Amino acid sequence: MTKKNSSHKSAGFSRRALLQTGAAALGAAAFPLPAIAQTKPFAGVTLRGASFQHRFFTLLQNYIPEFEAQTGMKVDLQLSAFPVYNQQANLELSSGGSAFDFVNVTFILAARWVAAGLLANLDEFTTDPNLTPAGWNPKDFVEGAQVPYRDAKGATYGYSWEGGAMVMGLSRMDLMEKKGLKIPRTFAELQQVCAEINGTDNVNGIVSFQLHHWCLPPYIQGFGGNIFRKPPADIMPTLNSPEAIQAVEYYANLLKNYAPKGVLTYTEDQARQSHMTGRSNIFIHSSAWITPILLSNDSKVKDTSRVVRMPAGPVHDYPAANSQGLGIPKNAKNKKAAWEFIKWALSPEISMRLVKEHGHSSVCRRSVIESEEYRKLNTVNGQDLGALYLEVLGLPAKGENYMAYRTVKEFPIVGDVLNKAFEQVATGQLAAQAAMNAAQEQAVANLRRAGTAL
Amino acid sequence: MSGGKSGSMIGPVRRSASPRRLVAIGVTLIMLLSPFLWLLQMSFKSNDLILQFPPPLIFTPTLQNYASLWQGAFAASFVNSLMSASFSTALALILGVPAAYALSRWAGRGKHALSFAILVTRMAPPIAFTIPFFLFYRWIGLLDTVTGLVLVYTSFNLPLVIWMMQPFFETVPSSLEEAALVDGASTRVVFLQIVLPMVAPGIAATAILCFLYAWNDFFFALILTRTNARTAPVAVVNFMNYEGWEWGKIAAGGSLVMAPVLIFSLAVRRYLVSGLTAGAVKG
Repeated sequence: MTKKNSSHKSAGFSRRALLQTGAAALGAAAFPLPAIAQTKPFAGVTLRGASFQHRFFTLLQNYIPEFEAQTGMKVDLQLSAFPVYNQQANLELSSGGSAFDFVNVTFILAARWVAAGLLANLDEFTTDPNLTPAGWNPKDFVEGAQVPYRDAKGATYGYSWEGGAMVMGLSRMDLMEKKGLKIPRTFAELQQVCAEINGTDNVNGIVSFQLHHWCLPPYIQGFGGNIFRKPPADIMPTLNSPEAIQAVEYYANLLKNYAPKGVLTYTEDQARQSHMTGRSNIFIHSSAWITPILLSNDSKVKDTSRVVRMPAGPVHDYPAANSQGLGIPKNAKNKKAAWEFIKWALSPEISMRLVKEHGHSSVCRRSVIESEEYRKLNTVNGQDLGALYLEVLGLPAKGENYMAYRTVKEFPIVGDVLNKAFEQVATGQLAAQAAMNAAQEQAVANLRRAGTAL
Repeated sequence: MSGGKSGSMIGPVRRSASPRRLVAIGVTLIMLLSPFLWLLQMSFKSNDLILQFPPPLIFTPTLQNYASLWQGAFAASFVNSLMSASFSTALALILGVPAAYALSRWAGRGKHALSFAILVTRMAPPIAFTIPFFLFYRWIGLLDTVTGLVLVYTSFNLPLVIWMMQPFFETVPSSLEEAALVDGASTRVVFLQIVLPMVAPGIAATAILCFLYAWNDFFFALILTRTNARTAPVAVVNFMNYEGWEWGKIAAGGSLVMAPVLIFSLAVRRYLVSGLTAGAVKG
């Protein structure tokens, strides 16, 4: 009896336990999975991304574990040197690869990638309220920084994570004040200041670096010329226009007469070093390279420096601007997960954290740049660097997009020719007219050889 | 003249170097070694000192650049380079040396055509093969693997081994092999125990050239790797960042990349000299 009872008990318990376990399993199958899907919608996904090494990504890597915890996905971010990344990503995308779920859309390659249809249209994500909440606001990105990532119809293929605005840094205002010189506002004044300062106290008037096709075009445009006739629609090179010749002559004279010896082969690092140590007075380049004279601990000229707009030309005032973006390859395997990452990495919250926690100021969200916290952090010696950055970065989107020359896929070919021609002039091998005539012929021939219809 | 003759009879003459000769040797050495010495001194400087002008020749050296290399991903790249260069050299020798021996002993009509066909792969620049290799590797999943690099380097080194080793085998008298065969030795024994030891200097010279090709390759490593199989030359370029070049690390990485080749060459320099000259004299 006892045995029977116990056997019954045991059988009853077993059945109950079995039923309970079954019910729990059914319940778990029916409810918890969607619950998990709600909290960790990308559990098990490994997201592969690639970019060139940059402080932005080094800082972002500190926050990625938080993103992984929120979404359940694992982020494999591969960072390489700038030339290495561009080579590898270009080959991967051009050959229709799917190795990467998100990539950096390098400024100089953006037009080619967008025109060739190598990237996914991000409007499909931003216009879907299920994928992008209204608070993310794509229009918050500075318009000038977004121009390179749009196609002719206005569709967006990338969102910018870094902006570069060309500004002028003056490291020896003390010398300038002694000589009664004011900050130059025009090309003529720039030449005058360089001439007056050069040689005083062993200081060079100006310093620059070897990427002439970045430094020179603002002068060409300032004199009223351009690299192409009317980019992006008409990409006939205009390297031998009277304005371009005048600009090459002007800029070559600046470097020949007032820059350190060997400046034509200077890297950005060498130029920045010369500027930050006060060996050269003026350096005109992207804000990220100029503002260290005020912000870096290595700067020896913090108290005597000013950062301002670069001088205007007689015709135009077109300081260069660029940006770097994040995009999704057309053949990516995990597009939704990739968008989740881009959305998070470029969210107002992460942008603000980068500014506040790390002083990383070259973000592209207007709301962040215009915030009081940003202004406080980026106002040095009474100079509002954020306002200057925002002003220059936004210029290409106002009126004529004068940076369009740099976003057409033909630019690298013409840019190389321009570099060589400028060196010939600056080293005195050829007169500006002869060098630019030869450059024009060479650029047209190279473009035709590359299959461009002119 | 007579002195030269008598010298050749009794061994090499020891001539005392004249001051002019010493100066010429010194100048040549400085010219040849200056790029390497410049790189080496840069590797012991901080970035500030590297960019200082005029460059200071007397400074307090730092090992910071080397230390930061090993804290980063460079160590893994160095190992990848070592593995891909060593394995590809070994594989090319294992396959190429017997092939060269067979070709040197073959008197058939197709010998020259076959030798020429083997060399064809070396006649086009590497860029011609890069894209096909990239697409094929992606398809079979060999992208970003050391195995993939080993196969590429082997395919390029194999013709080199076959062509370099043939003259060495031709210098070995066939009467030696015939005598061994008459004594009952098998072809394998003849090859391994009689012929191979006689061409050891040639194998050393060929191995160094193969190793150098694989070790110094940048282009294939750039295209066919990402982060897992990245080699040292690509890792050095990785210090050229968008925001600035890390000159100290570039110099330290460059010096380290040179080290194994220097050590290997010094270790086998006796074989290298005799091997290269012996191969050159024949034919």
